[in-house]
Amino acid sequence: MSWAGAIRTAMGGVLRHKVQAVVIGLVLLIATASATLGFTLLAASNGPFQQAFAAQHGADVALTASPARATTRQLAATRTLPGVTAAAGPFGEVTVQADQGGQPWGPLRLAGRASPGGPLDDLVLSAGHWADGPGQVVLDGISGQFVPVGTTLTVTGLPGSPALTVVGFANSVTNTAQGWVTPAEITKLRGPGSPPGEQMLYSFASAGSYPQLRADVREVARALPAGAVAAPVYWLVAEQDSEGNGAIMEPFVVAFALIGLAMAVLIVGNVVSGAVVAQYHRIGVLKSIGLSPAQVVATYLSRVGLPALAGCVAGVVVGNLLAAPVLNQSSGAYGVGSQQVPWWASVAAPAGMLVLTGLAALGPALRAGRLSAAEAIASGRAPRSGRGYAAHRLAARLSLPRPVGLGLAAPFARPARTAVTVAAVAFGAIAVIFAFGLSSSLSRAAASATLSGTVPVQILQEGGKGPGGPPVQPGGPAQNAAVTAALRAQPGTRHEVAVYQDGVTVPGLSGNVNVWAFGGDSSWVGYGIISGHWYDAPGQVDVNAAFLNQSGLAVGETALVNTGTAQVPVRIAGEVFQPDNDPELYASTQTLPGVATSANLSVYYVGLRPGTSAASYAQAVNAALGPNSPWFADSRIDSGQFYKIASDLVALLALMVAVAAGLGVLNTVLMTTRDRVHDLGIFKALGMRPGQVLTMVTCWILGPAIVAAAIAAPAAVALNTATVHAMAGTAHTGVPAGFTQVFPPSRLAVLSLAALAIAVAGALLPATWAARARPATALRAE
Amino acid sequence: MIQHSVRAAGGDVIRLDGVTKTYPAGAVPALADVSMTVAAGEVVAVMGPSGSGKSTLLNLLAGLDRPTQGTVTVAGRRIDALGEGTLARFRARHVGIIFQFFNLLDDLTVEDNVLLPAQLAGASRRRARTRARELLQRTGIEEHRNDYPARLSGGQRQRVAIARALVNSPELLLADEPTGALDTATGQEIGRLLRELNAGGQTLVLVTHDAALAERYAARTVYLVDGRVAAAEVPA
Repeated sequence: MSWAGAIRTAMGGVLRHKVQAVVIGLVLLIATASATLGFTLLAASNGPFQQAFAAQHGADVALTASPARATTRQLAATRTLPGVTAAAGPFGEVTVQADQGGQPWGPLRLAGRASPGGPLDDLVLSAGHWADGPGQVVLDGISGQFVPVGTTLTVTGLPGSPALTVVGFANSVTNTAQGWVTPAEITKLRGPGSPPGEQMLYSFASAGSYPQLRADVREVARALPAGAVAAPVYWLVAEQDSEGNGAIMEPFVVAFALIGLAMAVLIVGNVVSGAVVAQYHRIGVLKSIGLSPAQVVATYLSRVGLPALAGCVAGVVVGNLLAAPVLNQSSGAYGVGSQQVPWWASVAAPAGMLVLTGLAALGPALRAGRLSAAEAIASGRAPRSGRGYAAHRLAARLSLPRPVGLGLAAPFARPARTAVTVAAVAFGAIAVIFAFGLSSSLSRAAASATLSGTVPVQILQEGGKGPGGPPVQPGGPAQNAAVTAALRAQPGTRHEVAVYQDGVTVPGLSGNVNVWAFGGDSSWVGYGIISGHWYDAPGQVDVNAAFLNQSGLAVGETALVNTGTAQVPVRIAGEVFQPDNDPELYASTQTLPGVATSANLSVYYVGLRPGTSAASYAQAVNAALGPNSPWFADSRIDSGQFYKIASDLVALLALMVAVAAGLGVLNTVLMTTRDRVHDLGIFKALGMRPGQVLTMVTCWILGPAIVAAAIAAPAAVALNTATVHAMAGTAHTGVPAGFTQVFPPSRLAVLSLAALAIAVAGALLPATWAARARPATALRAE
Repeated sequence: MIQHSVRAAGGDVIRLDGVTKTYPAGAVPALADVSMTVAAGEVVAVMGPSGSGKSTLLNLLAGLDRPTQGTVTVAGRRIDALGEGTLARFRARHVGIIFQFFNLLDDLTVEDNVLLPAQLAGASRRRARTRARELLQRTGIEEHRNDYPARLSGGQRQRVAIARALVNSPELLLADEPTGALDTATGQEIGRLLRELNAGGQTLVLVTHDAALAERYAARTVYLVDGRVAAAEVPA
């Protein structure tokens, strides 16, 4: 037979076995899409800031100059200074006070830019459009967590209180401003209370360290009139800010990538080898009419390869589509402007999957090529004699409905295929259980880190909670007392405590230690405790991992704390979960004399009675405090954007793995149905009803699913524990035991049903086909 | 067009009226306008060359397939319009089928093969087992009840198939070339067994190529040619 004839034969095989071709295509689509997504996330979590900085032409320094001292021409001339490799600006700059719907927004540093692009600091629009008219503002991406596009901000302190409509959100990799308007708008927004500035952005030949950056800024300042340069912003600051979450996602992305890859290998191998083995009879016929062994191998490789190729191509597209919103979110979590799917991910994922498919198909195809025509025709599709007989004999003795017994015993006839199916379902179930567990762990971490579960309302000072901006003048004792009175007067108040923030020094730690001192009962605030306990007596403190790591102290030991007014020995009662690079210390104001001052009063934490709406409560408190109070109640507590992104990603990846596992089951049941089509005809001829056929075929997969569930449950628990610890490890902290104890037996039992759900969902379609087949058709079909 | 109708006296177990069966791929009907009856306790042989429609007729009588036109009534019930579930239930209780190549399930023991139709029909375990043992004894293969079909001879396998077909005491026994895969001596043994069953009142339809078998055991023979009833003979 000619090669053209062999190719036609292969195409005919694909068209005749549409379902199997679709399964191969879909499995590879999912495997390729998840691999593309996995590669992309791994790349995104690997030096995200550096990638974004390079892609967005990040500015080494953003410098604000006073237009009263330096002219536009003088500023523009700095572009050609020695050492300056690129520059942009000057852009008009102004800091305004704004509010939104009566809620203080805080100071807003705006820059006037005609477009988001430029030689430096390319701004990446994440929503809406660029400001191209009067009264329009594009806010930085973080603000998108609080307000949608279309929101109106009112600029206070200017005549007529001009309104700014939010028309989009954009990200600057080095946070050069909190919002952008047209250059003309900047002029309008400059008033007596808002000092004007001109922003220049620079890239320097040497900018790898603070001393180099400071030297660069000195050179610029020297070229300008004295006192013209103020407030340089260095790229290293933005890099340090982005490091907080960097790489934390890696462990679970790796975990899912490994699960997905292992399952893809199993399913693709099973699908492909099954497709080839099922066609032995046809191979025999083709050989008998003149197909050479090489043509047989090529025919069967291409029969699998065509749907595989289609699946891989579609998978890359789907992977890229899925990656776009995920990257959009992760760039926010990493604190960088934008992230893209790396080109190599779109090449490596489909190429890898195609190679994998080729390897899985090669063995059976070579075997098919070597078989003689007579052997191939004779080998048939029936299970080898003797396998599974004992299981059938045992099942017949059990008091089970006969279709159930027949179904449960069937997998023993094909032990290798059953083992692969058990593994595929187990991987799917592991992914689902792991996803639930990890989401629970992350939500506990989020609740502990942000206190969102226990402190639904915080009373803040204006400027202290808005999207950026320095703190404003602290409230006086009378205003602070008014807050306490207002809170105690609210019927929804369950707990309230004043929190003082200060810096103290501790021998052995360089620089200041951030102190959170509580002016009352704080046991309800709900910090996660990694070891030890929350302080319960004067003289005790709690600290975070950074404190212990940097000081070398341990829980139970004593530290000497200098508050500036006194030096006090304190015993470290416990380690709290606060993944921060800076050391932090938590104590009662009684323990730290001199800290509880009006100037240090930072926030009031409020716990609410059950059934109290946080938003309504905040409104009521704000009404009680009145417009002149520096304090305001805020219920828009950040519940942890990073944790939300991570949970969404976990859910997406788990869904993809579960769907792939379901397709694996569908394929297995389909192959088994084809193997046993004649037996199905006999069963039907003997009076097996469609419902009984459905039950029997579903039960083919039930036993393997139960075994898979038994394997998946402990494996998922172990994987969750290891992943949470690995994630914590990348953030240089431990985790409270409660974060990994998210699987009470009842929950684990319910989650283990995921294996059964995947199996039944995958089996249902072929089982329905089997149930609907006419007995005469089935008897003739062998 | 001449209609050939074969009728017998007494209550009819089978009645076909104007049955036509056309397969989707076939331009010519596999059966064309066939009408016939089979009375209770009667043995009818269906003969004809390959492709004459014998197996199609048997599939329609067993409710394994549906006619394109016409009605099929078995054991007093019109089965051509029944749903798949009801049809399967009907088949389990009222029709026994013996296949040329036995169609035993290789992974079940002889006894489990025989028990299967009773279990599918929802018979009690004890009653089904008693009935199965009785049939295995009657067909002479009781000693092999724990063996698997692969270890039996062709004749023994067909006896198992006969026992399986009878386990639910069906009104109608359909045999598709029951001796076609057996040597002559074994074929005669099976023929004798079928005659014994008929002697006990079992209605039997034999589809066969074997004229001798038909002549020896059937009360009537229906000849099919190109899907039509060509003739019906009652042996002298």
